[in-house]
Amino acid sequence: MRVLSLLSLPFVALILSLWSSAAFASSDYHEHLLLQPLPQSSLLASFNFRSNTSQQSFDQQHFRYLPRALGQILQHAHTKELHLRFTTGRWDAESWGPRPWNGSKEGGTGVELWAWIDAPGDEEAFAKWITLTQSLSGLFCASLNFVDSTRTTRPVVSFEPSGDHSAADQLHLLHGTLPGEVVCTENLTPFLKLLPCKGKAGISSLFDGHKLFDAAWQSMSVDIQPVCSADGECVVQIEQTVDMVLDIDRSKRSRSNPIPRPVPNEQLVCDTSKPYNADDTCYPLEKANDKAWSLTEIFGRSLNGVCPLTDSDGSSDQSVCLRVPHERGVFISEEADEIKKEDGFTRCFKLAPSVPFDLSIPQQPVNTEVPLDEPVLYAERTIVGHGQERGGMRIIFGNPSNTSAVDFIYFESLPWFLRPYIHTLHATITGHDGVLRKVPASEIVKETYYRPAIDRERGTQLELALSVPAASTVTLTYDFEKAILRYTEYPPDANRGFNVAPAVIRILDKAHNAPIYIRSTSLLLQLPTPDFSMPYNVIILTSTVIALAFGTIFNILVRRVVSLDEAAALGAQSLKGRVLGKLVAIRDRLRGKGTKVE
Amino acid sequence: MMTKTGDQESPASASQVDQPSVKRAPPPETPAAVQTRFRVIAAFWAVIIFLGFPIWWKTTSIYRASLPIEEMVDWADGKACRPVFPLEIHLATPSMQSFEAQHLLRTTQHTLDDLNEFAAHHLRLKLTNGSTTAHNSEDSSESVKYPAETADTALTVRLLPQDGLAGPWSELHAATTQLDIFYPPSQVPVPSSSNSPLSAFIAAELQRLYGEEKATIAHILSGNTAGLDSTSPQLAEDIDRRLRRSMKYAETYHLSFSLFTPGSEPSSWDIEAAVNEYVSPLLQALSPISNFTVDTQVQLYANFAPTAPKPEYDESEAAWTLKKEDLSAFVNAAEWPLNPSIGNGPTINFILYVPDPSQSPLLVNENRASSWMIPQWGGVFLLNPPLSNTEQGGRSNPAHLSQDSLGPAFMTFSHQLLTLLGTPSTPASLPLRLQTSIRIRAATLLLSASATMGSLARLTESLPSIPIPATVATSVSTTLSHLSASCVYLREGRFGAALASARVAETEAERSFFEKSMVGQVYFPDEHKVAVYLPLLGPIGVPLVVGLLKELKRIAGRRKAKGTAS
Repeated sequence: MRVLSLLSLPFVALILSLWSSAAFASSDYHEHLLLQPLPQSSLLASFNFRSNTSQQSFDQQHFRYLPRALGQILQHAHTKELHLRFTTGRWDAESWGPRPWNGSKEGGTGVELWAWIDAPGDEEAFAKWITLTQSLSGLFCASLNFVDSTRTTRPVVSFEPSGDHSAADQLHLLHGTLPGEVVCTENLTPFLKLLPCKGKAGISSLFDGHKLFDAAWQSMSVDIQPVCSADGECVVQIEQTVDMVLDIDRSKRSRSNPIPRPVPNEQLVCDTSKPYNADDTCYPLEKANDKAWSLTEIFGRSLNGVCPLTDSDGSSDQSVCLRVPHERGVFISEEADEIKKEDGFTRCFKLAPSVPFDLSIPQQPVNTEVPLDEPVLYAERTIVGHGQERGGMRIIFGNPSNTSAVDFIYFESLPWFLRPYIHTLHATITGHDGVLRKVPASEIVKETYYRPAIDRERGTQLELALSVPAASTVTLTYDFEKAILRYTEYPPDANRGFNVAPAVIRILDKAHNAPIYIRSTSLLLQLPTPDFSMPYNVIILTSTVIALAFGTIFNILVRRVVSLDEAAALGAQSLKGRVLGKLVAIRDRLRGKGTKVE
Repeated sequence: MMTKTGDQESPASASQVDQPSVKRAPPPETPAAVQTRFRVIAAFWAVIIFLGFPIWWKTTSIYRASLPIEEMVDWADGKACRPVFPLEIHLATPSMQSFEAQHLLRTTQHTLDDLNEFAAHHLRLKLTNGSTTAHNSEDSSESVKYPAETADTALTVRLLPQDGLAGPWSELHAATTQLDIFYPPSQVPVPSSSNSPLSAFIAAELQRLYGEEKATIAHILSGNTAGLDSTSPQLAEDIDRRLRRSMKYAETYHLSFSLFTPGSEPSSWDIEAAVNEYVSPLLQALSPISNFTVDTQVQLYANFAPTAPKPEYDESEAAWTLKKEDLSAFVNAAEWPLNPSIGNGPTINFILYVPDPSQSPLLVNENRASSWMIPQWGGVFLLNPPLSNTEQGGRSNPAHLSQDSLGPAFMTFSHQLLTLLGTPSTPASLPLRLQTSIRIRAATLLLSASATMGSLARLTESLPSIPIPATVATSVSTTLSHLSASCVYLREGRFGAALASARVAETEAERSFFEKSMVGQVYFPDEHKVAVYLPLLGPIGVPLVVGLLKELKRIAGRRKAKGTAS
């Protein structure tokens, strides 16, 4: 059964099986690294760290594997289950296939946080949520404190608690995103500090901020949840994962010469079957050889033994696995043992403690490839339309399967300044034949949960239960209006645009117990942006107009009206007249002197 | 034409005299026109003064609740309250006649008053019958429960006759507030004598018991400069050092016990048992003063800071040593996760450091000590567990630290905790030390809340542009009322209640001083407002002011003309 499932769904099932086999192991700490080369000279590195703490010692604040800072935050905010994600880049599903962990360990671009909070009412839950975000913001050096009521939603069907919670808890799910947050080294350092081995031993010693945040896609996650066994023993489980897709060529660049340079013309392998009209053009040919790489080259450092907290029995000590065909040659350090798995593509390594481990793969012609599954669903979301006032959203769902329809929940949380018109929600189906069919949205959308925005208080929350028929593409569109913000509500870089959080898609797959998650990319929304010197201009212009009008009226009221010649007579009396008179007198005297001298 | 109607035409006529030109002077203004102009200018200025100015004043003024500044300054200067500490000491004389006991009490009290040089802190003796002394412990627990009823009993002195003694001797119970004095029956003072060796002995014993407390309170009340004259310099220095080391008083303290080791072992410890065994009883005893939370953590791979000096190997001691002056750099604050606990109140950190096998044993160079205290922060203990040989021939730390091996460390930690909380080192009885600590805390809080009031008063007076919200006024009045309540409780000898009031006063004082909305004063400096409104005020203001000046000049000229005419 296991073998069959591995063959049918190798990638996903491998991770799942590894996860499940270890989840109920006796070990309190477990770490695992999976390396898999992906097409287009990419390499997926998937790190996983998991530890358990008994519920009792958690309640008494005796922390061993669970970091004390995080544990205290959870207790202070009455948070029973926490999921925190830091993500950058885009997962290229077209070439890389389905996501690692079925997308359950990744977040939308930026920072995403959702938690189940135990509180008697909605308001108390929100107060606890604010405490939670403020504390996490300090712990992870992220701007999570900006997750306010406008960025907080309470999804109804998109998420479900993955831990085992007691029925007595009144749990409230709150979800917040920061799509504009730039995830970087300052978030990795606190993340590493949470690990028992602190990046000093074991697979975490491979982490280097320069490489991790240089990846084409990376996602860091922290999940904390209570897990109860059948006999009622409960543990608090913390699971940290880091998934990244590295470009092998890019990562192999030396630190001293990091500027990418184009491949010299003579080294380019061009597709000679294509017609060329000049010498300087080239259609590059897909490489016939797999890239050579080693851990030290890719990560810039070698793997420093094993974290001694892991149990040294059973399969849990094979902390590094590699997915390449078995005929592929792999060189490893001497002290380590290689164990080949039956599926023909996986081999794991048993590492010697406190001895550096390296793994290198030479260049070799490709004969067999590790089969990649087709993702269950492709999704893509863009903003369409033009102008500063209105726009539209277009979401494209593609179902690659020829046989079965896909049912899923589509969850969107939109900022309040984007005002969608739900009545304009339309659907188009493109079938196998490429013919467009306009259908009423109700035919595709089975259920809708819509919570409209309130200006400056909360954002729009839209959850749709959709179904995409086999071998077809569904395009959903709706129009929206862009709100005009107040002067002080614009951020310093207003002309960059405003981030719209990625949509979350939860696929209800009957075959798997755990749902599959897909997240779209985040969007940039251009809002009408004023010239920010405007208020001063307005003040000065209106002041001038008022002053002009006032001056005229006041002068008419208080000035004396006389005839022109009378004015000249009066003028002689005024200050100006007297000064002029003096000047004339001085000139006359000077002239008089001049004539005398002559 | 030349004489009659005021100033307007006289210069004109003069000019005519100066310049014999063809230009014709205008006819004199009619009084009606002059009147109209006057009215126009007056009307504009009336609008500005009676409408514009009040509106501007009203819309730009800031709310400043009235504070009892004088009272606050009085508290800060110590004029409002002079804290006194009358300690009630019960004298139990189970085997004496009542008149004998009365006499003994009088003479002892007299001797005590003669000995005492610090009037704010005095001991008052009181007779009790023998039956209550037997249930002394229940009594004290009840008095904690109902602090409003009577003054707290500081100490019970039991006088017990014992045959075959040359002189009296005393024994202090370490776990209760009871002092037993054994005396030879022959030394019971006779009513005729004015003093007796027994009363002198009792007085000297009590004086000795409360000597440090008295010196400490005198030190606090005198503003940390000079204590009592009789205090020895050694004791004065001790007190000063202890006060500087101890944490600021808080309602809740978070105790954080951390195991740090530079390698991977030991990775577990019997922390739960150790806390229950060594820390919990102490916290139980300290609970009337403050609340405590306890959390623990294990941190592996905790290296020294790269800039910190490395330990050196001492051949003579066969140990690695740290220099005393380098101890301040021992804690790697940048990398070790010692962030304060979440929630109100300060965190006291206790670090158990197990050195790497290659650097074991690790000691402090100068005094061979394995622990030290970091003032107002916590304590460090270097634990050097016995090393075991590994298969590879190296040596390693044990993987698990048992409760027994944690014993010395936690004894040290509890001692450090008492010091950090400002508990005095004498007398030997812990309940007495805790009582002393209640009085010291009450005095400190009273002073600090009063000082905060003074600072607030000075702040509001020196910064006229900061707003004072109503909540600050409420907090201030709560503080002042609790301060006076605390002062009264002190006078009555109800120190527990005094501490409770002083705690409230301190909290409220801090809240009023750190009110957030009082900080927002510098958002719009007046220069900015002027810069924004100058384009409006300039062009409008100039004609108005010039018109007003002309009109005033005219009126002044007419007055003068009238004066000369009459």
